[in-house]
Order: sequence, then structure tokens, then C-alpha cells
Amino acid sequence: MNVAVEVLLGLSAIPPFLRIWRGPTLWDRLVGAASLNLRVTLFLAAHAAFFGHGLLLDVALAYAILGFLGTVLLARFGERGEH
Amino acid sequence: MGTVLLFLGLLLLWIGSLGMLRFRSPYCRLQVAGVGDIGGAAVFLVGLLLHSGWEATGGIMIVLLLFLIFTNPLGTHAIAKSAFVRRVKD
Repeated sequence: MNVAVEVLLGLSAIPPFLRIWRGPTLWDRLVGAASLNLRVTLFLAAHAAFFGHGLLLDVALAYAILGFLGTVLLARFGERGEH
Repeated sequence: MGTVLLFLGLLLLWIGSLGMLRFRSPYCRLQVAGVGDIGGAAVFLVGLLLHSGWEATGGIMIVLLLFLIFTNPLGTHAIAKSAFVRRVKD
């Protein structure tokens, strides 16, 4: 069951990746990147909880913070700059 | 109970993923990603908490849940405002 949950979560990261690849504008790619960050965070948390690696939960928290920072910074960049 | 919540969260995450492929404009994608991601992440993390118990990883998972709940709408708002200021067509 643990492996099935992780496989389903990993497969659900494919459509955001496709959106990053083919999105016509910068904002489509930003939506995909935010969604992909969230799925990676959830995957790290699930792996930490299922297999008892407590350290991966700290990694997930740091990844969530850096992903939020990157999303907001790139959105601010696209608001002003040329893309 | 934890298993049911895990699969319910996975269902919401899959709705968000497939809507991101199906919808046309960036605003529609933001809307479906907001609903699917925030709801899916919250339900999935509560399911993880109920599934694996409090002793091992409880506190940091609560912190992660609160962080995701508070910052995911901020990211969505930043992207939407950026697209609106640059006059992206709906």
C-alpha cells in the first residue's frame, strides 16, 4: 500500500512537468512549477512517514520554503521584467 | 481511516493534475491547481499523520501542513497578480 501511494503520487507529478514543458506563457510554467514543488514536498513527507526516515521530513520543510520563495520571486520578476 | 484520507488526497491531487492539462488559460489552471493542491496536500498530510502515528514524525508534519496551508494561496495570488498586471488574455 505504501508503494502504491508513492507511485500514484509520483505519477501525478507528470502533468505539471508537461505543463512546464509546453506552457505557452511564463505564468503557465509558474503554475506547473508550484504544483511540482508541492508534489515533491508531499513525496518526501510520505517517504519519511512510511519508511521511518525522520530526516527527510526536515528536507521536505526546507524544500517547501525554497519552493514558495522561488515561486514568489519568479512571479515578481515576470510582473516587471521582459520574458 | 488514515488510508482512506491518503487515497482521498491522492484523488484531489490527480484532479489538480489533470485539470492542469485540460484547462486553457493560466487563470483556469491557477484555479484548479489551487483547489486540488491545497485540498489534496492538507488531506494527504492528515492521512499521513493518522497512518504513521504521532511519535515518529508528528510535530514537523503539523508544521509542514500549516506552512503549506498558509503559503500556497500566497503563491497562487502572486502568480495571478503577475499575470493580471501583464494583461494575459483569459
